[in-house]
Amino acid sequence: YIQYRDVDHVSSCNAKILGYGNNWQLFNNALRQARRDRQLVSKRLLLNDDEDQPGVTMDTNSGEQVRQILFHKLQHSGPEREGHLKALSKALRDPSAQLTFIKQENSMHLLVGLLTGSDATCRLQAVRCLHELSHSPHTNVAPAFLPATPYLLTYLSGQSTKFTELCLYTLGNLCPDSDVVKEKLLAQGIIPALANCIENQRHNLAVVEAVGFTLSQLLQAKDAAEKIIPMVLASSLPSHLISVLTPDPKFGLAPAIECAWCLHYISCSMKDNRVLLAHGALLQCSSLLVSLGGAVAEGNKEEGMELLICPLLRCVGNLLSSCPVKDLNTQVADIRIVVALCALLQAYLQAQPALARESAWVLNNLTAHSSAFCSALLTLNLVPGLIQLLPFSQGINTMILRVLANVAHKKKELCVQLAHHGLLSALCATLKMADQEMVTLSMDVLSVLVVSGPQVAEEFVRQGGLSLLEAIQYNSEGEIRQRATRLLEHHPLSSSTYCSVKTSVQFALFVEFVLIQNFKN
Amino acid sequence: MLQQPELVRLLTEGHLSLKNCDEDCLTGNSQEPKQSVDEEGDPFNFTPQLIHLHKDHEIFEDGDIHRHMYLQDLYISEADDKPPLSVSEFACHISGCSAVFSTLEEYEHHYNSLHRHVCCSCRRSLPSARLLDIHIQEWHDSLFTILAQRQDLYQCLVEGCGQKFRTSKHRKDHLIRIHKYPPDFRFDKTKKDRGTRQMKRQQQKDTAMELVDDVCESEGVGEVMCDVLSNQLEQGESMETHVSEEEAARMAKSASTEEHADLSEAAHSTGTSTEPLKPRYSYRVPTTVCFGHGSVRGFRGRRGRRK
Repeated sequence: YIQYRDVDHVSSCNAKILGYGNNWQLFNNALRQARRDRQLVSKRLLLNDDEDQPGVTMDTNSGEQVRQILFHKLQHSGPEREGHLKALSKALRDPSAQLTFIKQENSMHLLVGLLTGSDATCRLQAVRCLHELSHSPHTNVAPAFLPATPYLLTYLSGQSTKFTELCLYTLGNLCPDSDVVKEKLLAQGIIPALANCIENQRHNLAVVEAVGFTLSQLLQAKDAAEKIIPMVLASSLPSHLISVLTPDPKFGLAPAIECAWCLHYISCSMKDNRVLLAHGALLQCSSLLVSLGGAVAEGNKEEGMELLICPLLRCVGNLLSSCPVKDLNTQVADIRIVVALCALLQAYLQAQPALARESAWVLNNLTAHSSAFCSALLTLNLVPGLIQLLPFSQGINTMILRVLANVAHKKKELCVQLAHHGLLSALCATLKMADQEMVTLSMDVLSVLVVSGPQVAEEFVRQGGLSLLEAIQYNSEGEIRQRATRLLEHHPLSSSTYCSVKTSVQFALFVEFVLIQNFKN
Repeated sequence: MLQQPELVRLLTEGHLSLKNCDEDCLTGNSQEPKQSVDEEGDPFNFTPQLIHLHKDHEIFEDGDIHRHMYLQDLYISEADDKPPLSVSEFACHISGCSAVFSTLEEYEHHYNSLHRHVCCSCRRSLPSARLLDIHIQEWHDSLFTILAQRQDLYQCLVEGCGQKFRTSKHRKDHLIRIHKYPPDFRFDKTKKDRGTRQMKRQQQKDTAMELVDDVCESEGVGEVMCDVLSNQLEQGESMETHVSEEEAARMAKSASTEEHADLSEAAHSTGTSTEPLKPRYSYRVPTTVCFGHGSVRGFRGRRGRRK
């Protein structure tokens, strides 16, 4: 069920899933499909000061209302104008009214006129109308904004918090809807404008959050890597984004969340993240994860914490793939990151397995080429906890097994320790799994373990590993059979000391036979 | 398992800097060479690798949806939103056996019941090591055939009884008279619809076996059988074919004799078995391998010496 905040919120949520027969699962699936089709567009609605919830007016008259206001009421200047604009903005929350609006000739010009007029309160109400319009689910609304964009950008350097916020969220909502609008915004200098805004309004976290949101929308464009990200990296934005990552205890997580998602969109789109690394992005993100991991381990699950943890994990994961091993000690100075990741793994395993999987992915990238991190897993006694996660599917166990495989590949001494912590018996179980990737990976790990020391091979045999491998030789997959055969024939396992009981009995019978024959003769 | 308090302690205790950076600097980005001998055709191809995930990767799906919900101001109960954590299933390795299990215990039970004590020669599955031994002895051991003519070698199937008989019929009579086996007890071919549970119950009873007349005579007992087997396999026949031929031969014989027990549904590789688990040995047995370790005694030592 949906955790309703109150009646208005219910109607808001219902309106959104109305198109799915109020079927939440259907709605959820539609979102996932939209994402797979790269059509998932997120918009943000900044509520009025007097609003608590995003109530939707199911007023069928709002289209007519819009016409009335535009062609009659707003034609005259005067003190009532503000009231009319307020009514207009309320009416414009209705999607059908939004369509009515853009169909009216000169409607946008009228609003732009009020946006840039001398009356400050009218300006505020006008931008509020534009904001409601920008939130439209109809993609043909955005192109109507072309006359307004240069003014919206100009106002980003203004001083009025509320006004600036509304401009920012309006721009952010427009970006994904129309390539034409996006191109215009880029040409009109949205990136430098955002950079200036975040710089000048550093103290104003509500504005910082809005800048983060707008930038995150821009960064999700299909051609972002070629057109947008280089501009962003060349500006002062990266250092500002990184500095905002540490959440303000009073204001909360929201600005940090937006900036973290920006950094994620940059780092996942680029193969080479040297610029971000140079700005200390990896250092900052990993340090934050250590403190957040500690908070989570202590049970301090502040609401929405995973909204910050998620992009931070992704940044660290992808930045690591650009980071040379020799730089790890400066880029990820605190080795406790592995502890934090294990804490996150355990904490989110049940409630949000996807987050656990992402944590495991980061662990893989940390351990892939670094002996120090591999050793740390053992010295900090994290291996048993990881082994306990091997039963869980949805990609969690394969990633964890990769991590353990990384450790095994580093040093012989580590293999012996891994075996000592129970990896062998875990492998005896994973070798029986239906998931073929798990079986293959398990044998790859085994191949390294059994050559690391005679006691390891013997222990595996003691645990019934040989008969297990023999059974695997009958697997339907050639690659799996190959590995099992190889392990049995070419590894120390084949020289085990197991002896056949029956051989001696056969021999005894044979002897008897010979004796009988001799007796006959 | 590392308890959360232990993790908390580690995380709140100041700063642990990255030690041994020297060794990382020395090795740089290269991996250490694999310890195993790098022969030709080494199938183990895992190497540690950095994984870069692009924006639209499926691993990011759940997190992206969550973010979308947050921005769109939709709060949802976690129970509805996230798919529940799932545990990996286990699956029987034996090709052709499509059994799947949710616990390791179920897997072990299945495997031990149906695949563990398998006769290398005729692919029959016996419920216990002892019964497998008896089966091998009586069915595939030419020495036994010879000795049994002069001695009582047919063992009573009931463990602990210890009695031996000159023929399998005598043994069957004994089992019925002394151990109260029902006269209509299945000394014949196994029914195709027998399930695992039934098998477990009838474990002690089902194993009166017929002597296999077509065992070749030769010097080394065990070796002969396996060579015959491996020769046949090398000719490209699957075990399936081999079994059916044997099966057909035996079925013809069993028409006359009553004692023809076979515990394994698995032997009916071409049959259309109707029980739910349907373990069918329709797989190709690699020619150099005999299913030896857990089952066939006496063939164990031969492995590795075959050409």
